[in-house]
Amino acid sequence: MSVESSSSLLETRRLSVRYGGVVANDDVALTVEAGEIVGLIGPNGAGKTTFVDAVTGFTRSTGEVRLAGQRIDGYSSHRRRSGGMARTWQAGELFGDLTVAQNLAVALQRPGIRALLADIITGSAPPVEAIDTALEMVGLADVADRRPSELALGQQKMVGVARALVGGTRVVLLDEPAAGLDTHESQHFGEELRRIAAAGIGVLLIDHDMSLVLDVCDRLYVLDFGKVIATGKPQQIRDDPRVVAAYLGSPDVEPSDVLDSQLTSGTTSPQKGR
Amino acid sequence: MSEFLQFVFLGLSVGAVYSVFATSLVGVYAATGIINFAQGSIALWAVYTVAALRTDGTLVLPIGDVSLGSVASPTAMLPAVLLGVATAAAWALIAHLVVFRPLRRAPALANVAASVGLMLFLQALVSLRFNTESLAALPILPEGTITVAGAVVNVSDLLMAGTAIAVGALLWAYFGLTTRGVATRAASEDELAARLSGYAPDRLAATVWTISGAASGLIVVLGAYTIGLDPVSYAYYVVPAMAVALVGRLASFAVASVSGLVLGSFQAVLLWANTLDWWPAWAQAGLGDAMPFVVVVVALFLLGGKIPSRGSLGELKMPAVTVPRIRPIPTIAVVAAAALAILLTADSWRFGIVTSMILSLIALSLVLLTGYLGQISLASIAFAGTAGFALSKLTVNWGVPFPFSIVLSALVATALGVVVGVPALRIRGAQLAVVTLAAAFAIQNFVFNNPALTPYEGHQISEPTLLGMNLSVRRGTELTTVAFSMTVLVVVTVMTLLVMRLMAGATGRAFLAVRSNERAAASVGINVAATKLLGFALSAFLAGVGGCLIGYSRGQLSAASFTVVVGLTMLAIAYCGGITSVSGALIAGFIGPLGVFYVFLNQTLDLGQYYQVIAAGGLLLMAITNPIGAAGANAELANKLKTRVRTARLARVAENGTTSLEMSSVKVGTHVG
Repeated sequence: MSVESSSSLLETRRLSVRYGGVVANDDVALTVEAGEIVGLIGPNGAGKTTFVDAVTGFTRSTGEVRLAGQRIDGYSSHRRRSGGMARTWQAGELFGDLTVAQNLAVALQRPGIRALLADIITGSAPPVEAIDTALEMVGLADVADRRPSELALGQQKMVGVARALVGGTRVVLLDEPAAGLDTHESQHFGEELRRIAAAGIGVLLIDHDMSLVLDVCDRLYVLDFGKVIATGKPQQIRDDPRVVAAYLGSPDVEPSDVLDSQLTSGTTSPQKGR
Repeated sequence: MSEFLQFVFLGLSVGAVYSVFATSLVGVYAATGIINFAQGSIALWAVYTVAALRTDGTLVLPIGDVSLGSVASPTAMLPAVLLGVATAAAWALIAHLVVFRPLRRAPALANVAASVGLMLFLQALVSLRFNTESLAALPILPEGTITVAGAVVNVSDLLMAGTAIAVGALLWAYFGLTTRGVATRAASEDELAARLSGYAPDRLAATVWTISGAASGLIVVLGAYTIGLDPVSYAYYVVPAMAVALVGRLASFAVASVSGLVLGSFQAVLLWANTLDWWPAWAQAGLGDAMPFVVVVVALFLLGGKIPSRGSLGELKMPAVTVPRIRPIPTIAVVAAAALAILLTADSWRFGIVTSMILSLIALSLVLLTGYLGQISLASIAFAGTAGFALSKLTVNWGVPFPFSIVLSALVATALGVVVGVPALRIRGAQLAVVTLAAAFAIQNFVFNNPALTPYEGHQISEPTLLGMNLSVRRGTELTTVAFSMTVLVVVTVMTLLVMRLMAGATGRAFLAVRSNERAAASVGINVAATKLLGFALSAFLAGVGGCLIGYSRGQLSAASFTVVVGLTMLAIAYCGGITSVSGALIAGFIGPLGVFYVFLNQTLDLGQYYQVIAAGGLLLMAITNPIGAAGANAELANKLKTRVRTARLARVAENGTTSLEMSSVKVGTHVG
């Protein structure tokens, strides 16, 4: 049911990634509209993180990546970020030497000659308001001055989400942000995601927490062996026998039951390395 | 043509040394993941041991010596050579057990600092313990010649090359064919797994260290008669050796071995080219020494591919950083103390203070680049030197007045900094240290020591004046004027405050972000490549200002102020002072070469000749006992003090925001005073 329009906020066409002889992403076509939450699911090793890496410029790929209609597949990672495309990482990847607030500040004040002069002449205090707003959104305003290592993994990931949302982000790719959150926190995170999307930001969500994914996503893509094998609304995906087969390797099982039990358990097993 | 061939063969002896050093480096790297800057210094000890034994039968030990003969009947050749090789093997084993094993989980920077410290320590110890003025090497290999295609070739050169290839082949066979060798490589990648498979990784690594030390010692002992005996050059043969080891990706014994021989021959051919009419004058000196840098750049950029880095058990992070805040009272206190010290001293003591201030600026350039941005650079002193030489040209030839002369000269250094920084876009850690060292080496020998670029009267520098005031360092019999000292104080203070503002601002945060995680930095929109180049540019600018001040403080520039040794010492000292803090830079300035500490040793204790060995030994000790640098120790100490103050004056704690960093800078300030 995805609407192919030329003005999608994020669009990939025939996006492929090859590692040696292995095809990690095979002609993936995907769109995310402004204000939409799109889920990307699939079994471990399906190529979900590879897809995020390819879209954000962290791995070599072929095919097209468009941001608001403009081709950006030739751009470096940092330029894609400046253009409004942000991501989070499975492992958090916060800056251990900086406080939580400073982690967000670096996304707001990029280094260069202008920043250098500002540092010297006026001093460049971090933009506190934008940082506080983003931290409040993920419920972490009270840890702004702590170091990442002092936080629980779930909190670190939320800092990563906050860091991805500051600095004029238009579309954000979240790689397993809810892993490490308990059920309650995960529900709360779902509500935050809706609020983020309501502000007009496009969200691509990868997660193993199926209750979260099925709950908040407007549309889902299912990836298996690097290929999109199904796409549609959450309800359609739940009942799709191909999806069940991909997850369990057998088509002879009653779809809904299995998905309910297997997917809602919130599997958090680690994914294949990038 | 036969002449050309003759030079090709002549270069084989030196080439053999490169070759064996290189394969030894590859072996040690394969076994431990460490790039050993001290490989040449270890071999240097062996050469002098043999020379002393063959002269008067004295076996020189680090402390004391044993007489095994006399001038009339010195030790016979074979036992002398065996003893010499054994000392190199022993030093290598000691290096492993005492220095590198305790540091195996320390950050790359700790290993670089320690191995540079060891290199300087051994070199200084050789100069102290051996009579390097009068000792000479006696021939060991047969002295005959044979004729190959019209060229007269020394048999010894061929034997050297043969030995080098044999050593390379043996190391290759050990690592490739024996179970022990394979286990050694495995243990380097996964110590725990090797332990579980029943191997003792330490013993495996110790074996390789010993073999590599013995091999390096042997080749140098064999070649010393042909190459000549001198206490400096062998230590620095490690630079070309590292270059050719990088050609083989620090993994291939065959490539490293052959490339070493080829590089040696090529350098000899460059000497031969000097005899050609059309060969330009500027290329007549130092071009050979610039080759290692060329080789490294070619290896990294044209040959492509990545150099494998070794895994280790949970690596320690870089030392933590306390972001500096400028507080008026501590700042004024430090500056006032320095001013007072200048006024209360004279001559050599005042000169020591001035030198310390300048060195702290150069150390600050390392704090910014290495401490904040995480890029290990050994080229800072080359940046300083470049600015100093530019200063000479700008003031003498073009009459550019102070202080514009400093700014312009520092900008020249900045440009060089960006060029040297380019390799940092592809490599990091110890390998970057190797590249910057090769660059510093090339600049030293090809630019600073090049007669074609040196005016007949030397590199004069015009005296600085400002608004009619004479700021020159000497006036009449006064060795160091107050005017000049105060000028240095002002320049250093202004630069330091500017750098502190950078560190506390967006630039500092971005640097720290790049240091802690380049991938994540790119994902928040930081241009990592541009940021690294910015760091190199800023660092080179600071070092450049320091170089200009050194120039003005001498009146005439000599390459001796900017040698690679000084650069290595600066990194090691800055590391030990605390590479992540401004106070660390102040400490480094205090103990740096010719600074206050040196004057104290020289004037008060009359131990000036021990400066290098004390400084190198001290920093080696610091690096081993405190792998994250003295800054960490200082911060801890300051924290303790703070806690004590806090308990004593609980009521005032609320408004007491003094950071550990400022406390230690106050402490340093009083020291400098």
